[in-house]
Amino acid sequence: MINRVTNQGLMMTAQRNLQQSLSQLAQKQNTAGTLKRIDQPSDDPSGTADSLRIRAEQAAVAQYGRNLNDGNAWLSVADTALSKTNSLLQKVRELTVQGANDGALSPVQKEAIAVELETLRADLMTTANTEYLGRNVFAGNSTAGKAFTDLDAVPPALPYTSTGTGSAVERRIGTNTSIRVDADGAAVFGEGDASVFKLVDNIIADLRSGVNIGVRLDEIDTRSSAILGQWGTVGARQAQLIKAQGANVSESVSLEAQRADIEDVDLGQAIIELKAQELSYQAALSVTAKALQQNLMDFLR
Amino acid sequence: MSTFSGLNAAYTGLVAARHGIDVVGQNMLNMNTEGYTRQRSVQGASGSLAQVGPLMGQIQVGQGVSVTGVQRLGDTFLDAKVRTTAAASGYWGVRANELTTLQASLNEPSKNGISAQLSNVWNAWTAVSMKTGDAAGAAVLIQESKALAGQIAVGYTAVDNQWTQLRTQTVGMAAELNSAAEQVAGLNGLIRSTLAAGSSANELIDQRNLLTTTISTLTGATVRNMPDGTAEVLVGGNTLVSGDKSYAVAVSGTPAMVGAAGDPVRLTWVTRPGVPVTLDGGEIAGALSTLAAANGTGTGGALAEAANQYNVFAREIADKVNAVHRTGTLADGVTTGLDFFAVDAVGPAALGLTVIPTDKDGIATAKPGAGGADGSIAAAIAALGKAVDSPDKSWSAIVTGIAVAARTGLQQSNLADLSTKSAVGNQLSNASVDVDEENIQLVAFQTAYNAAARLMTSVDEMLDTLINRTGIVGR
Repeated sequence: MINRVTNQGLMMTAQRNLQQSLSQLAQKQNTAGTLKRIDQPSDDPSGTADSLRIRAEQAAVAQYGRNLNDGNAWLSVADTALSKTNSLLQKVRELTVQGANDGALSPVQKEAIAVELETLRADLMTTANTEYLGRNVFAGNSTAGKAFTDLDAVPPALPYTSTGTGSAVERRIGTNTSIRVDADGAAVFGEGDASVFKLVDNIIADLRSGVNIGVRLDEIDTRSSAILGQWGTVGARQAQLIKAQGANVSESVSLEAQRADIEDVDLGQAIIELKAQELSYQAALSVTAKALQQNLMDFLR
Repeated sequence: MSTFSGLNAAYTGLVAARHGIDVVGQNMLNMNTEGYTRQRSVQGASGSLAQVGPLMGQIQVGQGVSVTGVQRLGDTFLDAKVRTTAAASGYWGVRANELTTLQASLNEPSKNGISAQLSNVWNAWTAVSMKTGDAAGAAVLIQESKALAGQIAVGYTAVDNQWTQLRTQTVGMAAELNSAAEQVAGLNGLIRSTLAAGSSANELIDQRNLLTTTISTLTGATVRNMPDGTAEVLVGGNTLVSGDKSYAVAVSGTPAMVGAAGDPVRLTWVTRPGVPVTLDGGEIAGALSTLAAANGTGTGGALAEAANQYNVFAREIADKVNAVHRTGTLADGVTTGLDFFAVDAVGPAALGLTVIPTDKDGIATAKPGAGGADGSIAAAIAALGKAVDSPDKSWSAIVTGIAVAARTGLQQSNLADLSTKSAVGNQLSNASVDVDEENIQLVAFQTAYNAAARLMTSVDEMLDTLINRTGIVGR
């Protein structure tokens, strides 16, 4: 009797088919409304895993972008400071050349040069203590207030000592890449008796005591080339960082494309599927209405 | 052969036709009654009277028609099939339902889930590494970390609540089972006495079938029909209902998820406390399997396993961050060996995860000797999120695991539902009332009634001829 068809069976089948069609319609409507392919993890478990990974990657890339901006600011500050240091040193060199003309200069003129050199030394010290957001650009990770201790340091320290700790300030710009964003103060300005400050001090002292300062020009040139070398390094790092910024932007775009590929549905496709399901629901309704409306009682009198 | 036997035979025809119409009426009236099985008036031709004595040798015809009973056109095989499939569909339905609820509580993939919060925490560590000693950055880090701990606790609590709710539901299901078993026992008694009195118990049997299907949906019970008309209901080979006696069950075991390992939730016999009921499937078995304790291999109860994963995850985050944080120093460059997260030793780790530092002074960001403003330790903690065995990957594995389980559960449930639908469809196609068929029966019985009435008229006319017209010729 398996093939026996009854009104109740017919109605139940019709109801089940309608229910199924309606639930598919609801699902398509939900998809078209949210435009999300993965509503729940069980919709696509492996897609969910990918989606979580890409979302984490997106957050990391956004953070790398912020790191890059911060690093760029550090390097710009260092670059400006090095440029200033270089021009100050050139000025020192000019004055030294001028002051080396022992015969042509009177003691008063020499004193005037010495005073100007003192101002330049103070400028150099200020530049060496350049700060970015409260951090010394030339002192690495030191928490000391200044990158270089002056003569009037409290507590007294060896003059012109760098407070840098030898550790570099680094910014992470990719999963495995970090970039140094500060400049080594000790390498730029030198330390103690070998420092640029001591050099200027020596020139001033020689000038005042009548010793010819022409011999100091070599020392100035040595220091100048050291500064240029560091300046070049900072410039190269900034170039690398700007390139990384470009890569960061394109990577975030490509990640968003990947995420959309995994999580989102195509609007056109979603709407076509919704319309097709609507049609099939209407068909089911009309078939049901036709199938259930007649039985033998309509014909027996 | 008496003069009036024709009248009597016609009368039996009228009675039989009326009975047939009554049964057809009962069928048509119960067309949409749940569980109703169509019935037939069973009729038999009455034989001729026994021929003894002097009248022997005459050719005798039968004495009309007699109603021998009302047959219930059910099929025990189809009924049993419905019960078996209902048990499977109940089992998988409960499991799929619970797993779907569980994965909804994960809140993934979204911008507000734990994975997004993990990214926030790692980014906050990077920000701190860039601006060590900045009170605002440290405050953000502490708040983001607290938010992460909070989300883990919320996730765990959601699982815990779901467990408690399911246990309460299980108690409700046991009560439903007891009530159904009592009713089956009561119906058994009624059916036995009705059948013994020679009446029809068809409607009672329909009611009992509905109840035994409920019992099978709950427990996967099997039913054995006994010769006296009663039905014996067996759960895991043990008697739940026998004759007019039923045996109650109760849910025992831990009332809270944390106790599931020592005192698992189980169904026991009330009359034999401590003896567990072996279930063959059904909703209660599905619920009990979801309520089971976590085992070491991850194949225990879905809820306890998820809660356990939250605990392991909380401990993993605390351990990994602390391991790096301990190697760092505070801004003074000296103090080292500090923890960032604390995990309460008592109770679930997911609820006991707290952030120790309250401001920037408690966060060790620097590598010893690298200077107080160094942020390399903070950067190393931020890099944990990118490690091969990062907490992000652990979380992703948890989400994927639950998603796969939910998907499997839903597929199983859909399959079980399909076979249930087909079984119910088969049962209905056999047992339900077809209006066309009943109408034809109605016409047939009406015609039979007319025929019997016609017979009666003929006999009456014949007797009229014999009694009133005979012997009056020439009067």
